[in-house]
Amino acid sequence: MFPTNHKTVFVLDHTPYFGISSENPIDFDVAKSRGPGYVPLPAVCKSLWTCSVEAAVEYCRIVWDLFPEGKLVRFVVSDFAAHILNTWAISQQNFTHLLNGLCLVGPVRRGAGGDVVGLCAAIEALGEPTGVQAARPPDSLFQNRGRILCITSARDDDSIRSLIDIAVNTLVQQNQKASEPQPTPVDGNNTQTLAIHYCHLIVINVTPEKTDSRVTNQPLTEMAGGLMGVEVIVCRASLLAGLLGRLVLPHYRLAITTVTGIPMKEEQNATSSANYDVEIIHSAEAHAGLRAAQTAAEATESVVLRWWTPRGAEGGAGGCHGPLWRVTPADAASRPSACLVNFLLNGRSVTLELPSKKGGGRSASHVLAAQGGELWIGALGGRSPHDDPPALSEGAGGRVTDYRIKEFGALMHQNKLYPGRGAGANTRARARLQRHTTYWPLTISSTLIFNMGSVMEPLTRLVVQESLTDEEVEQCRAVLMSLLAMEARHDLPAPHLPAAARGKSSGRREEQWRQVWSEAEALVRAHAVTPAHRALLRALQVTRTHNNGDGDSRATVIKATTDSPLSPVSGGSDVWAPRSALDALLGAPRPHRRPDFAGRMAAGNRPATLYSHLQNDEQH
Amino acid sequence: MPTVILLDVSLSMSRPLPNSDSTETHTRFTLATAAINTFLDYLCVHAKLEYVALVTFSSLCEVSVPFTREFDNIRVKLPTLEEGDKTCIETALHGVNQLVLNEWGYQTAVQIILITDGSCGVGSIGRNRIIKALPLPPTYPGKIHVLPIASPHDTSLQHAMPLYQKIVDLASNSVNNTNVTISRGSIYCPDQLNVPGVIAAMTRLCEQHYQEFWCTLKCGQLETRVQLFPAPQPASQDCLGATYTLSNQLHVIGFLTQQDLGTPIAISKHLVIPQAQVGSNAPHRENYDPKTPTKESSSSEGTSTDDDMSDPSKVPNFCVLLHGALKVEGMSAIVQLGVDWWGTLSAWCEVSRARRSCLLLSVMRPSASAAPWLGPLDQLGPSEDNSTSTETFPVRSWRSYSGGSGYAWARPHTLLADVQKVLRHARKLPDKTQHLYKELNRLRRAAISLGFSELLTCVSTALERECTTLPPTAPPECALQLAHAAAALRDPRTALDVKHSLQPLDANFTVTSMSH
Repeated sequence: MFPTNHKTVFVLDHTPYFGISSENPIDFDVAKSRGPGYVPLPAVCKSLWTCSVEAAVEYCRIVWDLFPEGKLVRFVVSDFAAHILNTWAISQQNFTHLLNGLCLVGPVRRGAGGDVVGLCAAIEALGEPTGVQAARPPDSLFQNRGRILCITSARDDDSIRSLIDIAVNTLVQQNQKASEPQPTPVDGNNTQTLAIHYCHLIVINVTPEKTDSRVTNQPLTEMAGGLMGVEVIVCRASLLAGLLGRLVLPHYRLAITTVTGIPMKEEQNATSSANYDVEIIHSAEAHAGLRAAQTAAEATESVVLRWWTPRGAEGGAGGCHGPLWRVTPADAASRPSACLVNFLLNGRSVTLELPSKKGGGRSASHVLAAQGGELWIGALGGRSPHDDPPALSEGAGGRVTDYRIKEFGALMHQNKLYPGRGAGANTRARARLQRHTTYWPLTISSTLIFNMGSVMEPLTRLVVQESLTDEEVEQCRAVLMSLLAMEARHDLPAPHLPAAARGKSSGRREEQWRQVWSEAEALVRAHAVTPAHRALLRALQVTRTHNNGDGDSRATVIKATTDSPLSPVSGGSDVWAPRSALDALLGAPRPHRRPDFAGRMAAGNRPATLYSHLQNDEQH
Repeated sequence: MPTVILLDVSLSMSRPLPNSDSTETHTRFTLATAAINTFLDYLCVHAKLEYVALVTFSSLCEVSVPFTREFDNIRVKLPTLEEGDKTCIETALHGVNQLVLNEWGYQTAVQIILITDGSCGVGSIGRNRIIKALPLPPTYPGKIHVLPIASPHDTSLQHAMPLYQKIVDLASNSVNNTNVTISRGSIYCPDQLNVPGVIAAMTRLCEQHYQEFWCTLKCGQLETRVQLFPAPQPASQDCLGATYTLSNQLHVIGFLTQQDLGTPIAISKHLVIPQAQVGSNAPHRENYDPKTPTKESSSSEGTSTDDDMSDPSKVPNFCVLLHGALKVEGMSAIVQLGVDWWGTLSAWCEVSRARRSCLLLSVMRPSASAAPWLGPLDQLGPSEDNSTSTETFPVRSWRSYSGGSGYAWARPHTLLADVQKVLRHARKLPDKTQHLYKELNRLRRAAISLGFSELLTCVSTALERECTTLPPTAPPECALQLAHAAAALRDPRTALDVKHSLQPLDANFTVTSMSH
């Protein structure tokens, strides 16, 4: 479950021997000679230490570029003690942290010490659980595997063998310790030492250019009953970076694609362009289709794909049916690489094709594109099983032509998502959607209130809010009032209804108004969770009951409200006196209402009696 | 998953059944035909959109019916098939691989149903040779089922079983190991060698591997029942070993513009096909029930007829509305598929059929980081007025190629380029003084982290040399700055201290030079 490449530890030898020169001079005077009297610079050689650090860092760059999570690398620098540069914590799995650590370690100093302490520390590090491993329930079984890359330099095969023996012993001992019962963690985080089920140890023996080594290559051999696989590789310091660059491919199942024929303009010669090749590294899965026709030997080489000069706007990675894989240039600092990277990071994408076949036909095979500042490759080609979909118009709901698409578009804009909104953001988004769709007719013809335009708009907009201010409640009341006024004027609720919808709902005007009121009530009732919303609902209900109760004279509501014998004496000083619907809407808002005395509510306009229930009790 | 029916038409298939006492004489081939018809009948009901091809083989392999959704083409073809010579399974699998790769490429999972007569036609040595020569695992993901038309007690079937088992096992070990886990195929032996026995075996196969997938698409209170095609497979995460199975409720959590969304990294894509609401007796408009706002009908009182209600295409469906709105607005919906698992819904139309558009669900890898440019997916949320976060799309990640490198000196040319840059600035003093020191500090930092003190000495020497080759007309400031920088690079106290940064020489000497 946890592959070996989940955990990798680099052990870098920092003993005095690594301070010696790699004997691979770099000449800085490449530029043309600058005349007589020009003293040439002495050539510079990197130390073995510099070579091993830069090779290890390059390995790491590829891993972290392609797998920002899940593939962890740690560094142990070994001299008289083991200096652990980082932990498995995600916050320490980056360049800045690593390079700061390397700065503190500094160049090789004089003094005793060896590679053994570092190797032991590395095995210990493999026993420490990573974040994902610690997050698993303690009783769950999983394979804890890892890889150690030990860059060192030994005198002969015997020293290498004793180094490996120490590693095996350490591993066995540590597993023994891990199998003993350990104190249960207090904080619930499972930080106890894990047994190591497999450790892939690669010992890389580094030598300067001109020194003969008495260490020989050893192919992968299983030791300690399959607990450890050991490999020994001998390498010149100058070739170390190349070696690790090759090793990283099988370790993480990566492959190289050579993008060939990329036209680039030269600074000196801006009218013409020269063609360049750039090597990119990505998951080997991206080549799956190409591998079909390949032998095993070819599979280790890079695949050459030709740049297909984009014509106008390309579709980006959208044409890929399958997954995308991260990409990193093999040589990040070279000019052609930088050129390709910038082209992609600026938002362009490019199709790659197989080098032209005999038939002369072109076949697009992959797409390179950037998203969010990262480069991706996707494979093209093949049909998708979902092609030729059934027409939506023949399926359920397909013949309905008056969906409220524009309104739903507005709803989508109101429910747009934004990144980084903290924990529980998904839940908040869903709750918001829930509110916005509480009463949401799908079609134009099934609603009137949403077709009434600006008359209704403030109400429909405000009522979906989580809470309403007093001011907003007032705005909604104003809407209800204008509705009443419209009805009184014998207006049609929605004169601009599309012909199709109007044809269906061409009932009598009274019926339309009845529908408007019931829809409005359904809408407000669906949201009546806060006191402010409930207040709005009460206002609406008062309006409605009055409206309906008045039977024939519904249309002449204004008259009815003023002339009704039930209406109170206008201008009465009692602010709590029952008011007609219109008064309720027109009149001053009442102060926040305390629940009224029950006796008074029962008594109506008569004086209320106190303790009326006492009489009832006596009667029983 | 497209399906290949791989039918054995070798001579042995035309053997009559041993105990066919009925009036009809059946051969193994007619039983195979019955099984295929059963299969197609099942698909007609449950998976109309499946593509099926019929490939026949004996010592030759032939595509009788290419991939099609017109299952009748296969039915018609069956009685006209000609019998061949001997069973040759590896040839057949080669042919299938070629057919699948040509048609579907290597990213589409394919199911293969091998219908044969339960005898591999060779002895145990030959059988082992066949096993070694099998062109498996295929380069495309998929699984193979075997339906031997043989009595379970047949000795030749017992002999062939290891071969069949090997085929089934190997087929699932696709090299193209994506995040989707595909369940294994199986061997479906009929209980008895007759028509009902074979049909029962085929029905078992269909029920286990051709289930349609139904779920409810929910957007707040709006919801509709949808079918996902092809049926989604459980996904897995290699690190956690956990498998994720799609829940039967997909919750829309919100919307994004297509531009912000980019191309989500889909592990699979599925058509979202709306289904008629069961029992959608729409309430009349007067009694809107706020609890079921979706179950309403376009019909209004008076014009409501039974015809309207019975035709599901005339009952409004949320899925159609969502598709229309997504298409018009150029937006996509983010959907929660399960715990820690998200997908996207977009209106999609094939390039070749620009007018036929449909709703497409892209299933992402199960993880909150499945689309890094959207940030952690569990933190996608609504805009809130009081929110302090001002992050916008795309959330950018820093990679080594994003710029500001300078550590990749493993290849000499990059080291040279960096040193040349310093020297170029050194030659253009005093204009480039700031640039010179900036580059020097960058170079120093990289050299210190790599323990490359030799480089600093070398650059120091180079700067001194520039100093000696200054033209006589150069302002004296140049020489002073170069000497200062060269000395600073050699200063044993500060040169290797990463916290120290080189500063240009204080510039008040310009006054002295003027007074000369």
